[in-house]
Amino acid sequence: MTLRPFFAALAVVVALAGCAADPAPNEQIRLTQQALEQANAVGASADESPDLKLAEDKFAQAKADMADQSYKDARMRAEQAELDARLAEAQVLTRKSQEQLNVLNTRITRLRKQLQLGEAQ
Amino acid sequence: MSPIMRGMSCAVLLGSAVLGGCASHPNGEQALQQAGNDFQKVKEDANVLRIAPKDVIRAGESLARADRLSSYWGSGTDVVHYAYLSQRYSAIAREHTEQALNEERAAKLELERQRLQLALRENKLISVQQQGKWLEEQIASLTTTQTDRGLVMTLGDVLFDTGEAELKNSANRTVLKIVQFLQLNPKRVVRIEGYADNTGGQQENLRLSRDRAQSVADVLVDLGIDEKRIQVEGYGDQYPVEANASERGRAQNRRVEIVFSDEKGQLGAAR
Repeated sequence: MTLRPFFAALAVVVALAGCAADPAPNEQIRLTQQALEQANAVGASADESPDLKLAEDKFAQAKADMADQSYKDARMRAEQAELDARLAEAQVLTRKSQEQLNVLNTRITRLRKQLQLGEAQ
Repeated sequence: MSPIMRGMSCAVLLGSAVLGGCASHPNGEQALQQAGNDFQKVKEDANVLRIAPKDVIRAGESLARADRLSSYWGSGTDVVHYAYLSQRYSAIAREHTEQALNEERAAKLELERQRLQLALRENKLISVQQQGKWLEEQIASLTTTQTDRGLVMTLGDVLFDTGEAELKNSANRTVLKIVQFLQLNPKRVVRIEGYADNTGGQQENLRLSRDRAQSVADVLVDLGIDEKRIQVEGYGDQYPVEANASERGRAQNRRVEIVFSDEKGQLGAAR
């Protein structure tokens, strides 16, 4: 049967092309978990940060995908959730640095005013 | 298995592979475009390149991956996915940059604040010495009394303009004295309590008494006392020290009291 090697090769090609089984993305799940914890640690909350909400929802979905053994979906959602969480964390830190600037500016304004008052007297 | 059957099963396998996970995604092109725009912006920003080079590199790598995948047939979801990751990295790069720039700005402002603080301290010292009453004031400003609330210093009404919360310059000596005392006793903390007389509305009195206490606290902070060591309370017309019947009595009741903690930083309970 001369066609047999041909079909075997075709099957291999099909398997390689789109639909190779993805391994379970355990490491990515761990990374995402860590990113979410870090975002929470700096004070981000899903109520205030739409990006953190997004991260939490995607992570929950990724864990459900893991349970269903849909490993590719799980990996993609977990990867997105990781970056959503990192963005939420960065936004909180930026906001805090802005608040710190505001405090300093208020104090400087107050000092300048006092110095002027002193000179006027 | 006959060759025909085998052929059919292969065709089915191939067909389901096409229909299965790999349907082409209409939004791939658009996602790629947006991610490309975002990446372009961060790549051209010198601050972002200086502060968040790793994030920029990752944004670029994800974008390149999305771009490469877009030339493969049937990889639309992957294109959208990597374009999304690229956009996220670009956004993270911008946030990290903004944060670092704010910290750089804060460091400069902090130096400026310290310079002004020093200048203010010198100013107050000079104004006190010029009046030549430094020694006399040393004694006069010791108008502290040991009460059951602890050591209490009273700043009288004369140190404020009528109805105003701003501390007058005539308070300089007293304020410097307090700063000096707190610097010599780094563990002590204070509670600054504002009081008003009973003329005017209750809310207004409460507000004024609190504002006056706060302005004393502000000056202490301006002169270098850590704000964590200072509590502020406003009591309105409560706890008068004299009857409000006479002008003299009312003037006595309009005051700011500074309650000092003991050496260990233990402060009596607020009223």
